[in-house]
Formats: sequence, C-alpha cells, structure tokens
Amino acid sequence: MFGGLKERLRAARERLGTSIGETVKPPAALESAAPEIPAAVTPASPSLVDKVKLLIIDRELVVSDKDVSDALSVLEMTLLESDVALPTSDAIIAHVRKSLVGKHRKIGESVDALVVRALKNALLAVLGTGFDLTEYIKTHEHPVKILFTGVNGTGKTTTVAKVGSYLKKQGFSVVIGAGDTFRAGAIEQIDVHAQRLGIKIIQHQAGADPSAVLFDTVQYAISHKIDVVLADTAGRFHTKANLMSQLGKIKRVMNPDLVVYVDEAVAGNDAVVRAAEFERTIGADAVVLTKADMDSRGGAAISIAHTIKKPLMFLGTGQSYDDIIPFSPQQVVEELLGGDT
Amino acid sequence: MLDSLSASLKDALKKLAGKTVVDRAAVDELTKDLQRALISSDVNVKLVIDLSKAIRTRSLEEEPPKGTNVREHVLRIVYQELVRLVWASTDVKLEPQTILMAGLQGSGKTTTTAKIARFFQKKGMKVGVICADTFRPGAYDQLSTLCQKINIPCIGDPKGTDARKIVKEGLVTTKDLEVVIVDTQGRHALEADLIQEIIDLNAITKATHRWLVIDAALGQQASEQARRFHEAIGIDGVIITKMDGTAKGGGALSAVAETKSGIVFVGAGETVENLERFDPDGFISRLLGMGDMHALMERAGEVMTGEEVDVNAMMKGKFSLRDMYKQLEALNKMGPLKQIMSMLPMGNMKLPDGVYDVTTTKMVRYRIIMDSMTDAELDDPSLITSSRLQRIARGAGASPEEVRELLKYYKMMQRTLKGLRGATGGKFNMQRMMKRFTGSQ
Repeated sequence: MFGGLKERLRAARERLGTSIGETVKPPAALESAAPEIPAAVTPASPSLVDKVKLLIIDRELVVSDKDVSDALSVLEMTLLESDVALPTSDAIIAHVRKSLVGKHRKIGESVDALVVRALKNALLAVLGTGFDLTEYIKTHEHPVKILFTGVNGTGKTTTVAKVGSYLKKQGFSVVIGAGDTFRAGAIEQIDVHAQRLGIKIIQHQAGADPSAVLFDTVQYAISHKIDVVLADTAGRFHTKANLMSQLGKIKRVMNPDLVVYVDEAVAGNDAVVRAAEFERTIGADAVVLTKADMDSRGGAAISIAHTIKKPLMFLGTGQSYDDIIPFSPQQVVEELLGGDT
Repeated sequence: MLDSLSASLKDALKKLAGKTVVDRAAVDELTKDLQRALISSDVNVKLVIDLSKAIRTRSLEEEPPKGTNVREHVLRIVYQELVRLVWASTDVKLEPQTILMAGLQGSGKTTTTAKIARFFQKKGMKVGVICADTFRPGAYDQLSTLCQKINIPCIGDPKGTDARKIVKEGLVTTKDLEVVIVDTQGRHALEADLIQEIIDLNAITKATHRWLVIDAALGQQASEQARRFHEAIGIDGVIITKMDGTAKGGGALSAVAETKSGIVFVGAGETVENLERFDPDGFISRLLGMGDMHALMERAGEVMTGEEVDVNAMMKGKFSLRDMYKQLEALNKMGPLKQIMSMLPMGNMKLPDGVYDVTTTKMVRYRIIMDSMTDAELDDPSLITSSRLQRIARGAGASPEEVRELLKYYKMMQRTLKGLRGATGGKFNMQRMMKRFTGSQ
C-alpha cells in the first residue's frame, strides 16, 4: 500500500538532500579560498595546502533553518497529498526540522544519509511499535476477548473473518459473536464467513441486544475452553451519542481484553477525528487498517497512529481471507526509505 | 457537517475584513489558509492549488465593483471559484430510467440504492432494484430486507455467482417498472476483472445513469479512483454518503472535478429516508458559513405545512411546551436535530451538545408525556407543581424522573433559542437572514 508514499518521499528526500548540499558548499569554497592567499604570498610547501584541504573536509558544518525550510514545505505537501492529516504532517515536519537544524555534519558524510535518518526517526516516532497478536494471546488468560469497533463501511465484519482465519492457522480455537444486529444482512454475512472458515458463531436474530449476543459468546468460549473470542459490532458514527453509549454497554458487559479500532486506509483527514473520538469514548488498544490494497498512500496509518498513539496490528489487503498482514513499523519505514538508495 | 471546514474558511476570510485595499500580502495569506482548509477537508491537493491560484490572480487583478468592499469582493471570487469546482448539479428526471451504482467497498452503495429507490417511490414512480453483488456474503439479504420495509421488489439470487446473468434476468423481470436500480459489488480501480465486470454490466443494462458512490471520509484517493471508474463506464453523477459523521466530503469534490459531473444526492443517516438532493449553491453557501436555507425549506415543505412550526416565534424566545411538541413531531419526520440545525444559517455558532442528545425513542416518550398535560400546562410549564407532575407521570405511564427530564430538556431548548437571538444582535430574523443569504450570491 505504501508504494505511492514511498515514491513521493524519495522525491522529497532528494530535494531536501540537494538543498542542504547546495547551501553547504559555498561556505566551503569560500573558506578554501581564504587560506590560499597566504599560500600564494609565501610559497610554502604543497603539503600545507593539503593540510588545509584536509581540515576543511573533516570540518563539521551546521545545517541552518534556512537551508531546509523550502525543502520541508515540499515534504509537507507530499505528506498531505498522501492523506496524512494536517496536524500529523505538522508534527512530522517539526520533528524532521528539529533533528536537522543545528545538526553538525561532516562534509564527508553523505547528505542523503542525514536526511534519511531524520525522516526515518520521525516516521518511527509516529508509527510507534507494532502489535503482536499471537504473542498477546499466548501470554494472556484464555479466552482472550477482542472487540472490533469502527464507523460504518470500514470492513469490520470482513476483518473479523480474516483475523479468525489467521488465528485458526496459528492453532488457536476461535468463536465469533455476531454483534452487528442492526444492519440488514449483517448476521447473514458473518454467518457465511464463519461457515466457510469452519468457525463457531454465536448469533441472535436481527434487532437483538448486541451486548446479550456477545455475553453469550463469551460464556460459550468459557464453557468450551475456546482460546479467542472475536466480537463483531455494528458500524457507528462517533457523533451518535446513543450508539456510542450502546458500545459502552457492550464493553461493560463483555469486558474485552482488547478493543480493536478498524478504519480504512483510504480515509482522509476525518480518520484522525473519528479515531480520536473512539479512543476517547470507548478506548482502543490496537488499530486495524483495511482496504490497504487500493493503491492508497498509507497516510491514514501514519495519522491514526500519531493521533491515538496506539499500535497498528494488521493491514487488510484484499478480499480473500488470507489478505491480512501483521503490521511492523520498522519494516514499513525501512521499505519506505531504505534499501534502494 | 462541514462545520470545521467552514470555520477555518471563515477565519481566513476574517483576516481580510479590516483591509481597505486588496493588498498582496493579505490575499497571499488568505489563499494559504484556504489551501490548508480545503486540504484538511480532503480536497485533492492539485485541485486546491489550481483553485487558490485562480482566486489569487482574480482577487489581485479584478477591480472590485463599485460599492463592494474588499472582503465582499474576495468572498465573491472565492464563492464563484468554489461553485465552479463542484460543477453543476445533476438533474434527476422523473422518467423511466436504469441506474447503475458503482463504488469502492464499504462506501454505502447498498444502503444508498435503497434510499434512491425510496426517493423515486415517494415521487410516485414504480421502482425495482437488482442486486448484482454476488461476492459479499449477506449482500442480497441486506438489500432485500431494506426493500421489503419499503415495499419495493428486489431481484437477485443469494446463491448465484454470475452477476451478468442475474442482471440480464433481472432486467426481464423488471421490464414493466419505470425505475430500475442495479446495486453492484464494491470494487476498486486496481481490480482488473471487477472493472471488466462493471463495464459488462454497463453494456448489459444500457444504464441511463452511472452513479459513483463516494464515502465522505475518502481522502486523496478519490480523484484517482473516480478517474479510473470514469474511464471504465463514464460516471455521470456522484453521491456523497456518510455525511452525518464529521467527514467533510472533500474527496467527493475531487471526484466531481475528475468526472466533470455533479453531485446527485447526499446521504446522511442510516434510515432509507436520509437522502437529500444536492444543491451546489447551497453547499457552497454552507461551506462559507451562510447557511443552506434552500435545502431546509425544500425538506420542511415536504413533511409539514407551514403553520405547524412557527420558526419566527421560536426564535423570538416565545417557546412553550406546545411549540416543543410540534417541533418534536416535525423533527421526527425531518431527521435528527443536528442535521436540521446544520442547515440553519447560524454561522459557526456552537450549540451545547446536550441539545442533540435526544434520541428518537425519547422523543416519542416526551410526546406521550406532553399528551397527558393540560392546555394550560403546555402554554405555561411553570404551572407544573410536584402534584401536577405526579399526575402527568401517572397519566403517561412514565416515572416522575422522566417528566422532570423532559422539563429540563425544555428549559435547555428555551435557553438555547434565547441564546441564538442574543448572538445575532437581538434582532434575529429569518427573513433578514434569508435576504442576506440570497443577496450574497
């Protein structure tokens, strides 16, 4: 998914690199001219010139604010075009600026390396650490109860099915609770998924109280010694107070170990607003980003992670059950910036 | 909805208010703020840059017409350029037609299909829908459940795997109906075989309209996706969905610019009634904080007769329980209060959150409680003593707490409406607001 962002970042980085490179060279030329005057007056041995040259090469130069401001505004546009929300891109720019400006660098050191390091650190600071679900399940008391939340149409139900399939392959036993009792066809949808995957599903009829469905699911898991409970819920907007309090009730009743917030990778600036609101009212322990195969630039991943400071757990990358990959920030950042330079 | 965008835009425009001549620095600052505002509303970055360039050039080069101040001059240019951006409104003709729905996964195609079916049904047309989503489990169940509720035939095969065949057969079954809407599976532009499928479906249906459904939260991807859909089947209308969230719908603007079409409908809510016609002038007016009176009037005219709610009396602070009763009754038909309020020209007025927190079920309860009050009590709620309160509660089968809660809500509404009056200089007048609104175009 990060292909687009990668390309853009590389262009911005080159720009940043040249602008530091350019502004840094003239003083070096000036200074090298200065010591040559005495050299011309007193015909000294060529070794002195060599010494001076050596001195300049080893000298450290300071990167100033002016050197980078143009290039940083290009970087800012790049981030914005990649769906990184405004406050988040501001934060990244500030981080890069802080780590570049006032930095001493040796002339011999490649400008590129310096910029890459600054960007990499900024992105890593924003993305935080990943979330290893398998490890979490292994180290916690069973059943591990996972509640999926999010706004309408982000792909919660599909994600529940995918995570179910993923965990089943890891050797865990799974039960799914059909907690979306509101949307027409939702129970049928998750039911078909569960049948195809051979996972037990607990469901009531449409319009039932989702808390009751999920309570039953947890009870089933306890009495049948199931490892993981995956609780699907109806999509809801953070602006609907009553639906959010319904979610609060679900949380009280089933007492989940993990609340997973599901959003789509193609979402723009609003991703930040709603993630923050879900985090505030219900809380979120991890994030799953869906629809990452839509050639999206991955900005939403960066903005959500930055806003709610919660780790990304999975990326959904397609329509089949295997299209889910655990998210690893180091790997993503490495892929974005590293390797092929 | 769209309130944060208009708030930041207004901030940007405010900076011009004190200026007497159009100076370069002020316009530069405005365009920069405008850029940030539009980008943070997910409008495509390239589009924003083109737009702000045009605004900047025109603001600096065009002579302000006599009698207008700098702010009005620039405001008009901003307005005109924004209108150009959303292109034209697409006409919805009440004639026999076939509509093909297209869009990304989870953008709300199926719900919107039912909403559009309801729209045409309300206008007195014979409507049928075909479910061509053979991939997502439960898709047929979802659409047929929604259609059942509104008595519209839904053709499809929950077990079928060939969308083309279903549509072919569906078209035969629905040939006597006037409006046929084909719901399709969600797809994105990189899925080549699915794009081929929708090209085929377009050929089979010979669709009159091909509408692209765009989630209001869709970001910079909107342009690209819209372009590819447009190349495949020629999109001639865009529908923005999920406008009841906090998303600003900038992605839909990019899609409109990309497909050179217009926004047909705006979806804001989960029931089949929550669909509005799009009105570009009103949309931009609201964007600039001048309120979309037109959409509100259209809506209000549909569900109630003029005398039911006296908006003017309400705004003057004459607000009795009786008014609230009528209001609740009307609101029930019009949708959530927040939606209504966002259409009123309140500018960036912030109303207390509690005002919106009345759910539909509560509204019904409130009305029952008010039914058990006397006329005198309705006109003057201060009459309600604790013994009267007991009587009302018993009469309505409610608890005294509920009655108290209702009175509390009433007081809050009253305070809010008084506050509105205060905020607009004590002379809040709908007619005046409307005049200002129309005059500014």
